[in-house]
Amino acid sequence: MKKTALLFLILLLFPVVSNAEDFLGAPVVANGKENLRTDARLEMKSSLSHDEVVLFYREQFKGVPDIKFRDWKDATYIEDDGARPWHSITISKDEKDGASILIVKDNWTWIIGTLILRYIGVFAVLMIVFMGMVVSGKIISSFVRRAEAKKAAG
Amino acid sequence: MTANEILDMLYGTLHTTGIYNFQWNIVIMWGVGSLFIYLAIAKKYEPLLLLPIGFGIFIVNFPLVPLMGFSHGHPQLFQLFYHYGLKWEVIPCVIFLGLGAMTDFGPLIANPKTLLIGAGAQLGVFITFTGTVLVGFTLKEAASVSIIGGADGPTTIYLTQHLAPQLLGANALAAYSYMAMVPLIQPPIMRMMTNLKERKIRMRQLRPVSHQEKILFPLVTSGIIALLVPSVIPLMGMFMLGNLMKESGVVERLVGTAKDSLMNIVTIFLGISVGATMQADKFLSWKPLFIFSLGLVDFAVCTIGGIVTVKIMNLFLKEKINPLIGSAGVSAVPMAARVSQTEGLKYDRTNHLLMHAVGPNLAGVIGSAAAAGMFIAMFD
Repeated sequence: MKKTALLFLILLLFPVVSNAEDFLGAPVVANGKENLRTDARLEMKSSLSHDEVVLFYREQFKGVPDIKFRDWKDATYIEDDGARPWHSITISKDEKDGASILIVKDNWTWIIGTLILRYIGVFAVLMIVFMGMVVSGKIISSFVRRAEAKKAAG
Repeated sequence: MTANEILDMLYGTLHTTGIYNFQWNIVIMWGVGSLFIYLAIAKKYEPLLLLPIGFGIFIVNFPLVPLMGFSHGHPQLFQLFYHYGLKWEVIPCVIFLGLGAMTDFGPLIANPKTLLIGAGAQLGVFITFTGTVLVGFTLKEAASVSIIGGADGPTTIYLTQHLAPQLLGANALAAYSYMAMVPLIQPPIMRMMTNLKERKIRMRQLRPVSHQEKILFPLVTSGIIALLVPSVIPLMGMFMLGNLMKESGVVERLVGTAKDSLMNIVTIFLGISVGATMQADKFLSWKPLFIFSLGLVDFAVCTIGGIVTVKIMNLFLKEKINPLIGSAGVSAVPMAARVSQTEGLKYDRTNHLLMHAVGPNLAGVIGSAAAAGMFIAMFD
């Protein structure tokens, strides 16, 4: 209810928002000031606060599949895992004079970062299996040795 | 009856035949299907799979055949196999059960550090992901294509069905084709990446592994995988269950069923279902062709990744590992291990690497499943 009221207020105060333009198919809050626009990147500053911009995008992407919202320390990160031309929207936090918004075609920092991390992850998983095998092997070996010693003594 | 009525009747009958609904592009798919049937029969390339896949491709690419659609809301025959077998991700998991029942993890337990080779060999998976995104695949599609390099058919099918089912036919076919071509693809790369001295490295005979260790292995591994990458536990859990049944020695009948009858049954359904997804209107585009060419690169990079991992490990190990077994880290059990053995014998007729190569080979299965789990976690 509170969120709906806030959105209604935004739409009332900024009627242009409801007719938002888009960049690579991603909706853009219309009252923002563009700092940089290339074929693959749009950087802009909005007079709306972080929460208002996030709410705007939540409404825009309501029920849309393959869209994820990630709440980071310094920003909210919206990611598309589907087939849309844009890949991510980053909305900065903690800015008093409005939120900075960054829309990119392919977020290579994220792609390369996550790949390296996941490759290391595969090593980590197998390393832990390795350690598990070594530990369990030692435990079993000691049991077997003890049993054999008992047999030999008996 | 007038001539017009007879002509009308003939025209109506013609409408119900495939001839009237013929399209040129299905001829290409007949060619593709026939090629795989030829490779299976004449060249013996993965015949258990390529034969039903080839026939599936061939038969669904006739106009009006009631196989992959719906009749009065009910799924047709192949659609039924596809729906319950692949869409529900049942077949890859059941195949892993059978594989587990056939697998002896002894060489891996005896030399657990070879697990790292299985991880290193996943290099191509992650590099291919980048290349695939660059040419315009979506992130989910890229993940499903890149896993081909892991050379693990059921894992490829499992991940593709999870993330990009529209690429299932192309991905599965590429994975199984390259697995069949391991003896052709890997040796030149192995020679390029190693010198003569390295190829002649002799490895110490593996220690005997106790029965208790073999029983504990599937429990420990499935426990760790369940904790770290739970998304692939349907696959790995079944794999380890099959192995536990085998090693326990108390359920011989179940083991026999899992590795023979059940495995054969699901292989038939798998082949037909995969082939049936490759209908001309869906398959004939640039994407499958690209998947095939990139799959080869992926496979090559994975092979390089395994060999390089061994070389890095050798910098720190007192007892050196023969880098020829690094290529076996790509999974493709047991073909990749056999290739290591054959290549090793070429340079030293008494240096048998087979059992040493089985370790990284099995580690490759776990590694590619872990990589698949990483991708699923990325999007879920």
